[in-house]
Amino acid sequence: MSTQNRKDIIKQGGIWAFIAVELAFFSIAGNYLSVSEKAFMDFDNMLLLLKQSAPIGIIALGMTIIMINGNIDLSVGAIFALSAIMLLDSMTWPFMQALGDWAIPLAWGFALLTGVVLGAINGLIVWKTGVDAFIVTLGSMLGFRGLVFMYNGEQPTSHLNWTLVDFAEAQFLGLHTATWFLLGTALILWILMTRTVHGRNAHAIGNNRDAAVNAGIRVGPHFMWNFMLIGFLAALSAVVFYSESGSVNPNDGMLYELWAITAVVLGGTKLAGGYGSIISTLGGVIAIQLLRKGLGHIGADTQTVNLVIGLILIAVLFLDRQLNRKGQEELKI
Amino acid sequence: MKMNMKVALACTTAMLGTAAAAQTVTIGITQNNVGVDSYQTTYERAFIAAAEANPDVNAVVLDAGGDVARQIAQMEDLIQQEVDAIIIWPTNGEAVIPAVRKAHQAGIPVIVTNSNIAEQGFDFVASFSGPDNITQGSRSAEIMCDKFKDMGIENEARVVQISGQPGYTTAIERQKGFDDRLPEVCPNVTLVETQPGDWNREKSQQVMEAFLVKYDDIDGVYSGDDNMGVGALNAAKAAGREGIIFVGATNFAVGYDAMAAGEYWGSIYQSPVDDAEAALKTAIDTLNGVELPFLNYFDTPKITQDNMGEFTKPVF
Repeated sequence: MSTQNRKDIIKQGGIWAFIAVELAFFSIAGNYLSVSEKAFMDFDNMLLLLKQSAPIGIIALGMTIIMINGNIDLSVGAIFALSAIMLLDSMTWPFMQALGDWAIPLAWGFALLTGVVLGAINGLIVWKTGVDAFIVTLGSMLGFRGLVFMYNGEQPTSHLNWTLVDFAEAQFLGLHTATWFLLGTALILWILMTRTVHGRNAHAIGNNRDAAVNAGIRVGPHFMWNFMLIGFLAALSAVVFYSESGSVNPNDGMLYELWAITAVVLGGTKLAGGYGSIISTLGGVIAIQLLRKGLGHIGADTQTVNLVIGLILIAVLFLDRQLNRKGQEELKI
Repeated sequence: MKMNMKVALACTTAMLGTAAAAQTVTIGITQNNVGVDSYQTTYERAFIAAAEANPDVNAVVLDAGGDVARQIAQMEDLIQQEVDAIIIWPTNGEAVIPAVRKAHQAGIPVIVTNSNIAEQGFDFVASFSGPDNITQGSRSAEIMCDKFKDMGIENEARVVQISGQPGYTTAIERQKGFDDRLPEVCPNVTLVETQPGDWNREKSQQVMEAFLVKYDDIDGVYSGDDNMGVGALNAAKAAGREGIIFVGATNFAVGYDAMAAGEYWGSIYQSPVDDAEAALKTAIDTLNGVELPFLNYFDTPKITQDNMGEFTKPVF
């Protein structure tokens, strides 16, 4: 039992130790390699880090629940783009313009509703057909992205509203608006996963679906709720991000699903499901953003950033394997 | 928004000229998507080379990888690092406006390079450095018209146009320049049809194949860049249609080779090296308080089979 606890601590603490290493590395390397006079661990820079983690972070938090279920959602990037289009385009509709700034909360509502509906479509198909979520959301990823392009062709969809921008750029108690949404989402999902029946069921289903069914958990509707939740969160992420940047390219949000999954895996969630932690995913998101920011700080280019993140991901999966399975499934040729 | 032509001319010629002040400045650049095409790759290399050649400049060179969110984060990082000036190659001409405003509010001059941001953001921009796409379009029209006059068909020639990707300012402006200028110089030439080729060679080849089936008589093809122009040329060669005058813009290596082979008539010479150096120069001049026109164009001359010897072959 005590070894089990120790392993849990290593697994959960690993990501934070990694973040500490990153911070130390970039602070020291920054002294030599950066042209900027300012220290990397500047307080404002760290606040900015949290803010910049928000778009992928909010999605990754939801992805944790999906992956604890043993599912995966590849369509979040497309849902993100479609919700963003709904947000910006709805504000240009005549009746919305007549409302003045009251159109803003309504537009948020439309965008979030779009996310929930698209998520519900995924969930319903997974529930009613029993097809693997990977395949279902692979299809909807392509389908939803098709809708994005149908909406406005290859053109960006734009609506710049300065009230909205000012709100999104505001800082309350030092934290940016986006940071509040990220931390708020993390708190609510943490409570959901650790303090409610729904959270317990999510773990149970991921651990052993048959046993969960036998225990009387209604797996289908449970999946559907979770897909609606992640649809909502993808839309929330779009709302937070596009409030500040009034224009969507049709290919925005591409690869976000992979960044979100990367963050979740870095945070130690098991790919097979049944185990995972919201707080560690938050760590995973911060670790990725820290790498992007830090490598930019010391003057590495974007390709290097991707390479390093890829290598770290493989290293994490290898470590996870050693910790979780002690190499029991090692290939014996 | 003062138009000072002398300064504009000076800017396009010399690069290291006036960066006199001994004080070292830090200039940050966030690019659109290095590696997606050779123009942007060459641009980055030229920018780094130009910055290194100047002992008074420290450059922070970043690439957004085509991702708006990442570009906005990079703008925030540069503001946070308190660089002296920021050069941005926008991933989306509207989405970056709030980030540009943030830099402006922080007292950091922003120079937009290559393709401009939308008009709503002009108040927050110190200067735009890039090619004048409208002039490029009208110069292409002039190249084509001059050739028709040489051939004596300026009263009956029929032209088709393959435009760039819809929605791109570059595509819209080049098309506008061509559409407006052609009737002025050659009033009797008809522009029969315009279709987008999306900056893509294969797509342009298909568009041209359709044109060739639809129209028996095509004398000239104008395409928004040489990449598309060569696609159209391939379609014409495959269909065995000869004597068509091809004019493009942004002279690519493939276009240059086709001109050398006598198959392609002319284009507009736009060098990514000039583009990058002009951007850096504009940033340095802005910091030194030199008065610049808001739209600080660098020159993009005409290139045809007749004068191509004056230009080196593009590296992209």
